[in-house]
Amino acid sequence: MGSRKTYLFGMVLVPALMVVFFLSLLRPGLPRKVPTAVVDLDHTPLSRSLTRNLDSNEMIDIVGGAESFDEALAGVRRGEIYGFFIIPANFQSDVLAMRTPTLEYYTNMTYFVPGTLAFKGFKTIAVTMSGGVVKTTLQNLGVGERESAALLQPVSIDAHPLGNPWLNYSIYLTPSFSIATLALMIMLMTVYSITMEIKRGTSPEWLRTCGGRLSTALLSKMLPHTVVYVAVGSAMMWAIFGYSGFPCHGSLAWLWVGMVLFVIASQAFALTVVSILPNPRLSFSICALFGILTFSFTGFSFPVESMYGAIGVFSWFAPTRYLFLIYINNALNGYAVWFARWWYVALMVFVPVSALASLRLKKALLNPVYVP
Amino acid sequence: MTGRVFRHEWKIVLSDIGVLLFFVVLPLLYPLVYTLVYNPEVVTDVRIAVVDNSRTGESRELARRLDATPAIKVYAYASDLNEAKRMMAEGDVFAILEIPSDYARSLGRGEQAHVPFYADMSLLLRFRSCYAALTDVQMAMSASMLPTIIDSTPLSALAAGRELSLPIKSESNFLGDTEQGFASFVIPGIIILILQQSMVLGICLIGGTSRERRRRNARGIDPEAVQGAGPWATIWGKALCYVVFYIPVTIYVVRVVPEIFSLPHYGAPVEYLLFLFPLLLATAFFGQSLIYFMKERETAFIVIVFTSVIFLFLSGLTWPRYAMSTLWTWVGNLIPATWGVEGFIRINSNGATVGECAKAYTALWILAGAYMLIAAWVCRRIDLSSRIRAAREDEPRKQESV
Repeated sequence: MGSRKTYLFGMVLVPALMVVFFLSLLRPGLPRKVPTAVVDLDHTPLSRSLTRNLDSNEMIDIVGGAESFDEALAGVRRGEIYGFFIIPANFQSDVLAMRTPTLEYYTNMTYFVPGTLAFKGFKTIAVTMSGGVVKTTLQNLGVGERESAALLQPVSIDAHPLGNPWLNYSIYLTPSFSIATLALMIMLMTVYSITMEIKRGTSPEWLRTCGGRLSTALLSKMLPHTVVYVAVGSAMMWAIFGYSGFPCHGSLAWLWVGMVLFVIASQAFALTVVSILPNPRLSFSICALFGILTFSFTGFSFPVESMYGAIGVFSWFAPTRYLFLIYINNALNGYAVWFARWWYVALMVFVPVSALASLRLKKALLNPVYVP
Repeated sequence: MTGRVFRHEWKIVLSDIGVLLFFVVLPLLYPLVYTLVYNPEVVTDVRIAVVDNSRTGESRELARRLDATPAIKVYAYASDLNEAKRMMAEGDVFAILEIPSDYARSLGRGEQAHVPFYADMSLLLRFRSCYAALTDVQMAMSASMLPTIIDSTPLSALAAGRELSLPIKSESNFLGDTEQGFASFVIPGIIILILQQSMVLGICLIGGTSRERRRRNARGIDPEAVQGAGPWATIWGKALCYVVFYIPVTIYVVRVVPEIFSLPHYGAPVEYLLFLFPLLLATAFFGQSLIYFMKERETAFIVIVFTSVIFLFLSGLTWPRYAMSTLWTWVGNLIPATWGVEGFIRINSNGATVGECAKAYTALWILAGAYMLIAAWVCRRIDLSSRIRAAREDEPRKQESV
């Protein structure tokens, strides 16, 4: 029961719209060219060359100069820049006289991503500048290039980011946020389809047409939805891995199997909630609350193992968590499906749980009571 | 008339448990739950495996130094890279440090030693923590090894009696979220979004319920609404009710919550409360405009809940607005929370004044005006169309009775 437009909107349109939104919004991968400023208090050839180096760094974009610290800070407050770099007065003469001047840089960490990128850009330039001067000094003294590198940095730990060497934001946000959106909409629409029968008092009739058997009634209602969600999920996978060419280092077939199990598990989750609370307001509220919080506590951005135990434990109740782990295992890292075996099993557990819970539902369907 | 609608709306809000759930429980609990999720702030003790092919005092020293950083925890030593890779696939470790067999020899010869660090990239935050720790360890090792290395080169004569230091020092400073904590960064934005979304959800619930009553009514009117109130009186009376209701809610969300969790809050209360007033007003009219899509009570959940995710991104909190395409920048411009988040973060975390957020402040007033016009149109349109429909449905009934 319910309006056809609402079903089309909630089951197909919203998940599709969200994938398109994330793919389009995050297409650049990294928000490079962070707007920043240079406060050049030195005005010498060396300080100007430093400014040029800063501007050519791919992370940052020098959008303006400021004449003082206060002026630059006001720029941060107005939101025009995310950080600034200060070249002190007498910088060039201090370098030449080996008086060790200090370069200072400020980054606005209230915006995490641009703040981090600006910090990285500033740090790289500051270290390169310092290293360049040392190298020149050493080489003038007759120390070879390899030796001077070892002097500057005897141990070099080279980080190899696996699976996403570009540190691309879209690769790690688009799939996980799309999964969580699909789960949210599956839960809400499942609650909608069942509680509207109760709200309009049509649930006894629904049961009667299925010969009074609850299992037949639920299966005949939910299976067609499963087919629609699997089609939507397949389209999402195509948009991400096919059309947009996101890396999949493992098997798409196994990821697809995971997606199908995830769709069924999300429906089962909602059925469990409705069976325990056969009241539209409460079951909608629980599913909306859980669905939205899923984006946070399933650890897309902040890892579950770093959360408080009492919060992190909720992630294991969310089907989203398991498909996310399957995605990482399979597509991002390309590990054998064996290593994801438990996540597949976990997704399957949702079905028997909901079957058990739904035993309570029959009474509510036979005596529909609508509490607004 | 506006006053009557205002008083009547209070009764509606206070008597509907669903609305109270959105207007009171949601803004009361959500900020707490969100902060609890992110309150550990930083990622620590990321588990790594060490493959030590050098097996010397020097290589063990390197592993010890990494283990000593807050970010990294050496979880296991693996006999070879394959074993370590297996640990990573099982999810036991998130990175592998592979110390080459010639590590100690290179150091002894005064050559640079290269040590690969393979990192799982499922979460950028984990990698970011590790990366910062690696940089710190490398710099600390340079500093501690420099004198020994210099002694073994011709430079020792030159360096004798002189204090060794780098020719240029650099110093980084963090503004706003000085500890770079995750909760400190994300919560100030999220609480503004919660204010907008909870109010919109409540307004849409009220609107959808009223639409249902109109459908059941023979004349297509809502019998529980104030009769005879025009669209302007209706939307203003309701908007004032919501705004007044939200003043204590807002004070709790923006003042008490950061206090409880000691999140950064440098801004003056006068500044951000002044700033947030047009946000509340714009949201009250924005919500009343969205009633257009609410055919029934439950539609609010299906149409509004998912938009929180979109609005979060459009606000520029996770993905900065300067990197958005024109299309998404403009869609973002139309959402009150976009400006609310931007201005509030700057006032709250960077200590800006309303004057320094003039653009966002003006935008909020413009949005309040624009949504006021749309809300009035929606109000009139719903009233007309449901009365016309009722009249049309009524006609056959009248003919039958004749």
